This record gives sequence, structure tokens and C-alpha cells, in this order.
Amino acid sequence: MSKKLVLENVSKHFGSLIAVNNVSLDIMPGEFLCFLGPSGCGKTTILRMITGFEQVTAGNIIYDGKIINDVIPQKREFGIVFQSYALFPNMTVNQNIAFGLKMRKMPQKLIDERVNEMLGLLGLAGWDTHYPSQLSGGQQQRVALGRALAIKPSVLLLDEPLSALDAKIRVRLRTVIKRLQEELGITMIYVTHDQEEALALADRVVIMRDGEFRQIGSPFDIYKEPKTSFIAEFVGTSNFLTCTKKNGKIQFGRLEFVAANSSDVAEETVYLAIRPENIEIVDVTVPADNCVPSNIVEVEVEVINFLGAVVRITFFLEGEEMFVDLPEKEFEKISLKRKDKVKLYFPPDAFHIYTELFRKLI
Amino acid sequence: MDGHYLGAMNTTAEEYVVPVEYGISSTRMEIDRFIVPTVTIFIALLLFFFMLFPLWSILQLSFFEGGQFGIANFTLANFKKYFTTSYTLNALWHSLYVSVATTIIVTILVFFFAYAMTRTTISGKTFFRNVIMMPLVAPSIIQALALIYLFGRNGLITAHFLKIDWNIYGATGIIVSEVLYCLPHAFVILYTTLSAVDIRLDEAAESLGATPLKVFTRITLPSAKYGIFSAAALTFNLTITDFGNPVVIGADYNVLATEIYAQVTNLYRFDLGATISIILLVPSLMAFILNYYISRKTFAMISGAAKPVIPPSRPLKKISFTIYCCLVSFSIIIIFATVVIGSFVKIWPYDWSLTLSHYKFPSIGGYSAIWTSVWVSIFVGIGGSFITLVAGYVMETRKPFFKQFIYLLSVMPAAIPGLVMGLGYILAFNKPYYFFYGTPWIIVINVIICNFTLGILSSISNLRNIDPSIEEASISLGGDTIKTFFKIIFPLSRVAFFQNFVYFFMRSMTTISAVIFLVSATVHLAAIEIIMLDNDGWTASANAMCTCIIVIVLIMLGILQIVSKKTGTHQEGLVSAL
Ligand SMILES: Nc1ncnc2c1ncn2[C@@H]1O[C@H](COP(=O)(O)OP(=O)(O)O)[C@@H](O)[C@H]1O
Ligand SMILES: [Mg+2]
Repeated sequence: MSKKLVLENVSKHFGSLIAVNNVSLDIMPGEFLCFLGPSGCGKTTILRMITGFEQVTAGNIIYDGKIINDVIPQKREFGIVFQSYALFPNMTVNQNIAFGLKMRKMPQKLIDERVNEMLGLLGLAGWDTHYPSQLSGGQQQRVALGRALAIKPSVLLLDEPLSALDAKIRVRLRTVIKRLQEELGITMIYVTHDQEEALALADRVVIMRDGEFRQIGSPFDIYKEPKTSFIAEFVGTSNFLTCTKKNGKIQFGRLEFVAANSSDVAEETVYLAIRPENIEIVDVTVPADNCVPSNIVEVEVEVINFLGAVVRITFFLEGEEMFVDLPEKEFEKISLKRKDKVKLYFPPDAFHIYTELFRKLI
Repeated sequence: MDGHYLGAMNTTAEEYVVPVEYGISSTRMEIDRFIVPTVTIFIALLLFFFMLFPLWSILQLSFFEGGQFGIANFTLANFKKYFTTSYTLNALWHSLYVSVATTIIVTILVFFFAYAMTRTTISGKTFFRNVIMMPLVAPSIIQALALIYLFGRNGLITAHFLKIDWNIYGATGIIVSEVLYCLPHAFVILYTTLSAVDIRLDEAAESLGATPLKVFTRITLPSAKYGIFSAAALTFNLTITDFGNPVVIGADYNVLATEIYAQVTNLYRFDLGATISIILLVPSLMAFILNYYISRKTFAMISGAAKPVIPPSRPLKKISFTIYCCLVSFSIIIIFATVVIGSFVKIWPYDWSLTLSHYKFPSIGGYSAIWTSVWVSIFVGIGGSFITLVAGYVMETRKPFFKQFIYLLSVMPAAIPGLVMGLGYILAFNKPYYFFYGTPWIIVINVIICNFTLGILSSISNLRNIDPSIEEASISLGGDTIKTFFKIIFPLSRVAFFQNFVYFFMRSMTTISAVIFLVSATVHLAAIEIIMLDNDGWTASANAMCTCIIVIVLIMLGILQIVSKKTGTHQEGLVSAL
């Protein structure tokens, strides 16, 4: 059974570079936890400290109540799945899966049983005598999963396991991993820079940036209540409005908006964030009577992108490029064209208010 | 399809328990802690004992009275004697003269040869590339043997065809034979450099109206300058440290290498031999350091360069470069042909009837020397490629404590002339308690150490091609260092291992200078037998012995080709085998 894994004030320095800066976290048994953050934020480093490939600079890694900082990787009994699959090219699928069991001197009969169980579990029956080079990327990653799970690890760690695969297989294998985790009840720690993947898989998401944890919560919480403008931008999409606050009123260029909770903020410059799907179209998705009048603006349609389930409309507001997402069914009703005028409504409670703005480098 | 097996899952959360009875053995992991330090210390000790200690012995004997280390014993008397005796001092000037001359000639010759291979569309490139690599399969004595047969006192061309009195012995002979010996070494460097430099620069300049000559002097030459310097430094080093060619063709023209040998073997002046070794070490060390820094820059330049298609060369360019390459290749082929044919004809150049009598070796070594050489070379091959692979593995993936220090020790052997190392071995190990002295084992160790640098560099570059996650995957599954190495790293390095094996084998079969001091009344080696036979006037048998070595090395290279083909590694003639 998996046990509780605790990170206690863990830091990792590479010379003067601080890769992980004093982070703490309790990872519950059987939890699916995702570390999500842009490349270089320290996700892999955390994983490598949990596996024992890197030593912590400060703090403790505690498993089942025992500090395991100095336990060698072989004795931690954690399974690892790598982005590059890292299968042993000189061994067949069978031998790859059996490797960890052989290291444990398990009798051959039990090894065969376990390998067959894994082959069945991962839909690899019939492929056992093939070499990794004869398999597709998706199949190789399944073998890697089988190899890591064969030793019945207490925790399974996955470092961007799907990012080398193409989109279709990625989504399919995502389901496989999620089902495995639920059926086996094993703790999984999953690292990714793909927000969609993190939201789809995790029980809890840890948003990382610059070696620190910025927000920890369920996918729902993170999406609905991003703590910082960076998270609002990184998870999903947000429109940002740089506003000034005067006499309790929020001004965006020549426009004036009402935003919920705006009185809590003391600063003069505030940044309003609103997700494209939260902007309404007056008299289409919301009746005009229900609207706060100041939050209705008329804009000109610049670009229309058909994305399948939703249609994304690009417009300019006070010189800023913004998006509104409309369910495809609603869009059919109004059949907008480029340069058409449309009335948008920004609901006061759909705004998130930030006092700093993360600027994406394009 | 995915739904299928998920439905068939038979493991549930309840069953999911870590089976403690089949855990990772703690004892094995305790032992594993000591593996990396032990290997690191072993390699450090190996290089200390078999490289630094012999060098120290030479320093001691040359700088201290009676070879006894101590402030009071410090003396420059040996050096004073060397520099005031005009005969020995001449050896230095001679060495510098032939080395500088060879360096200039080789660099120019090979530059145009490599240019033809990389910048023109002449046909027969594979042939030319293979021919220029040929000198590597023979001891660096074959050139001198052949030149004597062609231009010596009874030379086919000098005495027979032209009927002139001139002969090639002395400085000319040394320079010509060294040129023919150094071609492949310089070629590898210049070929790599010129393939890496972007040819589109030339095209761009030409399209802007620059004359071909301007393009060549302003663009092509400067962009290859590091390669040129590097090839020159290597040629200088090879020439000044070579022993085989000058000892056969030099006659009275003594160079540093032959002088060391003469002092030690003929005059038993070990102290002067050691002193001259130090003097030889200085220029060769400088050339090595220069080469080391330059080649780092070269490699920085090579990475990431594009390999565009060569535009068709003009007919005149094609013809002249074809003729040029044919001439260079022809000279190399003539050398080999002369020695091989010379070993089968009765009396060169008078009686051309074929005979095998020269293969009945008159010396005491004879065929037993060949077998000793083969066995020694097999041990050198296995030992050398294995030790360098293990050392490379430990240094690359396990980052031991004094990695930088071991790395420095590992590149040092390339800077030390074989002859100097050999002399160091006598001085250091000629004591009754070194049981291996006087046995073939000291030769095995010596040759491994002398060629350690290239061995470890190629092991490291091979290991860098293995995904580091593979190693971590093994560890996370409970693999210890030894199991990971033998079950995964070693199988994945098979081809590289065998290439390294062949490299060590070839070096061991053909080296003369490294082992000349280590053969004894009971231990004979084929390459040294060539010198002995030639010295005793059995020139044709010397050629026969040389031919035997070439055949054995070629067989080994043939096996390498077959093995690499079987394992699917792409090979391109000798160039990539090295
Ligand atoms: N072995 C190392 N030596 C030096 N710096 C490292 C090392 N490993 C990672 N880093 C640095 O630490 C930071 C975090 O890296 P990493 O954990 O790999 O990020 P992520 O996996 O989130 O992309 C990066 O700036 C990276 O360059
Ligand atoms: Mg990473």
C-alpha cells in the first residue's frame, strides 16, 4: 500500500542557481498529484529528489514517517516513467518488464506470472518477444509503465511521460494512466508542462514557477480561482485589462467597469482578468435586462476561429487584443461575420482582480 | 482497443501490496556503495603506477646525481654534458629539422587531399579515403623499408633504373618516410574540419564575384585554420617521437629518438637516455598542448554545422585534383607493394623469381614473435577497451569525487612519446620484486597505457550517446552498478567496444617505440623483429615480417567490418573504424 509522502522545506541549489526554493507538501496515499509549470521551473528536480537521484540541499523528504533523504534510489521502491521511455533497447518487452523482478531475485515462475499480468493490464499481450525498436511510441511508453509497475512500487513518478507522443495517442494514454491509478490505488506523482493534461488527470495540481509552489488545489479550484495573473494566463486562457482605480471606480481607457470585490484592493493600478468563455453576448447568451449597464461594450469582430465545440472571436478593446469564446450552437444562431458589430457583456463576478501582471514573452 | 484490457484488469487496490520477501538485497546495496570508489581508485592507481611513476623515474635519473632524489643531489650535469657534446646536441637540431620539414609538407599535401575529398566532385573518393588511411595498419618502419628498396644503395630506381650514386639515407629518407607515415593522422583532422565548414560560404563569395583564388585564400583557408594548426601539431608530434623510420633509414643522421635508444642499448648510459627523453618530452609536450587547445576550438566549431551538397566542380579542377589524389595514393600503394613484393622475390632487385624462403625467419624470434604479438595484442585489445569503457562509464555517469583529476591523468599518455614511456618502464620496474618485468604482461600494460587517451575519449563519446534515463531506469528498478553495467551499458556499447578493441589491437601490433625497450631475450614481438632482422641484414625477411603484421591487422579490420554490418552500424571504410 502507498503511504504518505511529505516534502518538508525542501530546497535544491545547483551552485548559485536555486532550482527548488523551500517547498513543503503532503502527498496523500493513493493521490494523483500533478506538478504543473513552465519548462525550467524545477519540476524534474523535485521528482529527482523524491526518487533519490538528486540530494536535497535543505529540508527533508519523508515517506511513511521516515526521513529518506539518504536512502539510495534502489531501496526507495518508487517506480519511474521517463519522457524518453528509457526502455532497455537490448531486451525484449518481456525482459524489460521482468528486469526489476530479476533484480529482486524473484523465482522465474512468479516473474512470468507478473509479466503476463502487466502485459494484460497494459494491452500488450502478444508483443512480449518484440524489441522496443519494433514498437510505436505509445506502445513503448506502455511497456515503460508495465516495467515500472511490475515491481509494485509504493509510489509511481512520471516525468512528462506523454510529451514525446502525438496528440491522439497522448489523450488515449492519459486515460490509461488515470484508470490504472484508480484501479491500483497507488500514489502517482505526475510532472507536466501541459495544463490540459494536468487538469484532466490530477486530484490535486501544484502550480510551480521559479522553483516555488504558487498554488495548490483541485483542477476545478485552480481553473476557477487562479491566485495570480500568471496562473490565470498559464492555466486556460485569460484576457487581461490594465485598469486604474479612482474613487472606487475601475477605468479601462475611456471605459468604466464594475468588478466584484474591487473594493478589497488598495492599489491604484489593477489588472482585471476574464476568461473568454465568461464574456457574454448581450441578447444572445444573456438578456440585456440582467446586465450592469456600464459593463456592456460594443466591439467590432476582427477574426473568427472555428475551434470545434467553441468559436473564438477576436476583437480589440481600447487597443488591446481580446477573445471571447462562444459555444458553437450559440454562434450558429447569430452567424457573425468579420467587421460586424457585437455587444459584449463582462459580468462583474467573472473578473479576477490582480495587483501584478505576468507578461508572457512572445 | 483501450477499453478491452482495462476491463480485464485483475489487480485491485486490495491486492496491491509491496512484496517484502522479494525486496532489494541490502547487502548487495552496501557492497554497491564501494564499487565506484574502488574502480576510481583502481584507475587512478593504474595511471599513477604505470604512467607517473615511470616518468618520475626518468626525471629522477636525469636531474639527480646517481638517480637519488634529494636537494643535495640535484644536478644539471647531464644536461650540460648533452648540450656540450656536439654529436648529441646535433640530434636535437636534426629532430627539429626533420619534424618541421615533415610538418610543412604533410600539412600542405593533406590539406589539398582533404579539400579534394570534401569540396570537389571527383569520383573514387571512397578509394582515395581508404588508401590514405592504409599507413595505420603497418608499423612506422614500412616506409623506410620500402624507400630503401626503391632509393637505397641497391635501390630499384636509384641503382637499377637511373644507375646513379645518390641514395636516400639520412635526412631526406627520414622526411619522406615520415611524410608517408603521417598522412592518415593529419587527414582525419583536416577531413573532419573541411567537412564541417559550410561550403555555402564559398559559393556566396563566388556569386559576389570573388575569383576562385580569392575565395580560397580569404574564405576556405581561414575557416579551416584551427584544423590546419591541429593537423600540423599532431604531425610534428608524431614525427619527432617516431623511432622506426629514422632508425632504419637515418644512417648516421641521429635524431632524439634514435639517440635515446643508442645511449641506452649501445652505451648503457641510462642517465643520458633519460636526459634526452626529457629534451624530447619538451617539444612533443608543447605540440600536444597546442593541439589539445586547438582541437577544443575545432570541435566547438564543428557542432551543428550543415552538410550541403557539393556543387559540380569544373572539369579542369576535377582532372587536376584526380591526378593529385592518384599521385598521393600511388605513393602509399607503392610503399606497401614494395614491401609485400620484396618479401616474395629472391633477391631484390636482381632476381625476381618468387620464393617463400624469406618467410623462414632466420632470427630466434620468428613465428613465435608473431604469435606473442597476436596474443599480447588480443590482451591489449580486451584489457584496453574494457578498462577505458569502465573508466569512461564511472567518470561519465557516476561522477566520482576526483573526476577532473582522473580525466587529466587519462589524457596525459597522448602527450608522452612511447619511447620515453618505455625507458621509464625499465628504470621504474627493472627490480626483482616487480614479477611482471621481463614478461609479456609489462608490454600489455605499457601499450594499454600509451594508448589510453584515445581509448577513453572514444568510450566517453560513445557513452554520451546512451540516454542517461536508461541508466536511471535500471537503478530505480533496483539495479546495482555492476548489474547495470553488464546487463545494459555493456551490451549497448558492443560495437563501440569492438571498435576500441580493434584500435588497441592495431596499435599493439604495429607499435615499435613503446615496446622496443621492453622486449627481452625471452619475449619477442613481431614489430621489433623487423628492426632486428633489418639490423642483421635480413632485409627481405624484415619485409616478410612487416607483411605478416599487415595481414593480421587487415584480418582484424575485416572482422570489425562484418561485426559492425551485422549489428547494423553504418561504417565508411577505415575512417570510421578509427
Ligand atoms: N544537474 C543540474 N545542474 C545544474 N543545473 C540544473 C541541473 N538540473 C537542473 N538544473 C537547472 O535547474 C532548473 C530547473 O530544472 P528542471 O527541474 O529540469 O526544470 P523542469 O523539469 O521544470 O523543466 C533549470 O534552470 C535547470 O537549468
Ligand atoms: Mg523537466
